[in-house]
Amino acid sequence: MSSGTFAAYRPILIAIAALAALPLAVPMLVGAGLFAGPNTFYNLMIFILIITLAAQGWNIAGGYGGQFSFGHAAFFGTGAYAQAVLQTRYGVNAWAALPVAMALGGLVGAVIGLLAFRARLRGSYFALVTLAFAEVFRILANATPITGGAAGTLVPLRIGFGQMQFDAPAAFFYLALAFVAVVLILNRLLERSRFGAWLVAVRENEDAARALGVDTLTVKLKAITLSAAITAVAGALYTQKFLYVDANIAYGAWISVEALLAPIVGGIGTVFGPLIGAIALIGLGEAAKTVIHAAFGSAVPGVDLVVYGLLLIVVIAFAPRGLIGLLRTGGGR
Amino acid sequence: MTAWNDTTRRSLLKTGAAGAAILSAPGLLRAQAAPVKLGILQPVTGALAQDGEYGRLGAQLAIDEINKAGGIKSLGGAMIEMVFGDARSSPEAGSQEVEKMHAEGVSAIVGGFASPICLAASQAASRYDIAYAVDVGVSDQIVSRGLKNTFRFGPGFGAVTRAAIDNLVKLNDAAGKPARTVVLVHEDGLFGSGLAKLMNDRLSALGFQILETIPHPTPARDMSNVALRIRALNPDLVIPSSYYGEFVLLARTMQQQRIRPKGIYAVLNGAASNFRFVREFPDAANNVMDCNHWADPRKPKTAELRRQVEATGRFWLYNVPLNYSSVRLVADAIERSGSRDRIKIIEAMATSTFADHIMPYGPTKFENGQNTAAAPVNTQVQNGDIKVIFPDTFADAKPVFPVTG
Repeated sequence: MSSGTFAAYRPILIAIAALAALPLAVPMLVGAGLFAGPNTFYNLMIFILIITLAAQGWNIAGGYGGQFSFGHAAFFGTGAYAQAVLQTRYGVNAWAALPVAMALGGLVGAVIGLLAFRARLRGSYFALVTLAFAEVFRILANATPITGGAAGTLVPLRIGFGQMQFDAPAAFFYLALAFVAVVLILNRLLERSRFGAWLVAVRENEDAARALGVDTLTVKLKAITLSAAITAVAGALYTQKFLYVDANIAYGAWISVEALLAPIVGGIGTVFGPLIGAIALIGLGEAAKTVIHAAFGSAVPGVDLVVYGLLLIVVIAFAPRGLIGLLRTGGGR
Repeated sequence: MTAWNDTTRRSLLKTGAAGAAILSAPGLLRAQAAPVKLGILQPVTGALAQDGEYGRLGAQLAIDEINKAGGIKSLGGAMIEMVFGDARSSPEAGSQEVEKMHAEGVSAIVGGFASPICLAASQAASRYDIAYAVDVGVSDQIVSRGLKNTFRFGPGFGAVTRAAIDNLVKLNDAAGKPARTVVLVHEDGLFGSGLAKLMNDRLSALGFQILETIPHPTPARDMSNVALRIRALNPDLVIPSSYYGEFVLLARTMQQQRIRPKGIYAVLNGAASNFRFVREFPDAANNVMDCNHWADPRKPKTAELRRQVEATGRFWLYNVPLNYSSVRLVADAIERSGSRDRIKIIEAMATSTFADHIMPYGPTKFENGQNTAAAPVNTQVQNGDIKVIFPDTFADAKPVFPVTG
């Protein structure tokens, strides 16, 4: 039993250890000319991990539960704004603000979930409603004074551990990695739990699940609350990293798209899908940028985006079950 | 064997020749001081690509000119080398590029264009004590954070609004106060909403009657509802604060529907002092006024630069002179500091009295990073050209107001 448990978590622990050991490879990567400097590498990795976290959140409701949300920006933004506003307007410490941001994100998830699921919205209707909610939040954040309105909220630069602002970029990398690691383990726990089985049952056939006695409304509500809370942490980390949020950053459609694209590319409803998807998507974008820049200089802006788009189409066309699916089929099935 | 010998002999000859050349030309070597790297950050992809391209053009023209004139003399004639970064119209891409520029060893950074990009990028640069010269970014938050490395050469939001309102009152008074009622149209982002709020407060206090404030999103595909509302309200004055596309749409729709207020008085508008708009829609653009950044028409260099830009088939947009001047400002600071050291460059920037620019500002004087000499001007589109109508000291045309016919 215990060896079986360990076997289930082994790949996760290996992946976490590998990511944690990445900084050791930095001098080599920089030496090989892949990155301009160590900080460029950390910046990219931190951004990948933030997107991974947002995508991991999406993956719980969308991947495991089959509730495709197009509006995870609503949760990301709530986390981002809570983290910024609590610090700047109420003098709350950054570390104390983070759990509050997470809770507020979860609350928004629960409210939106309650409204949407009670109205029995499924599939594309649910997607559209979440999209609309995110858009409403964006407009509200753009107009209300507490968020700084259209001017956004700026967190003052005060480097110090107590402010969750680190002098060494590696520190923030490990902070973000810690959250991603916790959610990876949480995902596996979920997969092996009764709740996880109910969630998958809801995804596969909601009516059948209900007929078997699963309280589908509660299951879906729990899933979206958890999903929203995790994505809100990603938002809070974004705020701490870039120290500035406005309505388009926090509630813009970009993050809803990133949060659902990463699991879809990586492997929907899998533990590693969001992480692999985020690394592939953002890494690919960056690689395309670097290669095109090296080949053409900055003479043709946007060509790298075209290349990136083409690669994305290829990935989707040849790996419909995500990169993980590709690995599994390739691994001899 | 023979081949091996051959190669060795040839390479030996080559080395010898190169060595002789080095020995015989020590002066040449001294002139080739290592270049000074200057980061140019502009959004050249995404929604702000047009502005970013013109910003880059301005920076490029300044760098070419400085290098042609012998580079940075206090550094042994070191050439300026542009390290370009695409800010992709988003703050995180902006800060990512700053990290790259830091790794490539830039001495200073110029650009950003949009306020959110400037906010994030200057903050990222402050971690490495890289002097950051904001080219446009009008949000006053940029220079109120106490960052020692951040300087803004142009005027901020507050200064522009004050000038715009003062000049509007002057304009109206001089014409015998024909305008009393106002409709404000603004984009709902950072600059439009902020501006509309300030305008609302100040103009009401000055005796203008604000009939309505109409916000619109960016991008907006259709402005006919806004135009119809303006027609119904029939104001004396329309004050639009929008980006390029939306204002062009509004102006065209108003022209098509024959909505003719006594004046269109734009503030920091994306189109009203943009030659592309004037060339493409001369009738809709005619007599539109704007309070914005603009190069000083009295300075001979302005005309020369404009000719250079137009010779490449491009339009004369304010991004060009602002970036041109900002790069010259930073080059001047490097020249005076006589150093590539970032802290010394920041110190030299802070005490700058740079006056050899083409903006209508006079000698530069930074207070908390803001150039207190910076000021906007009022322009008006008159018969296919953009003329300066305020301040009087260097206006090259009289304002046409109220607009009749």
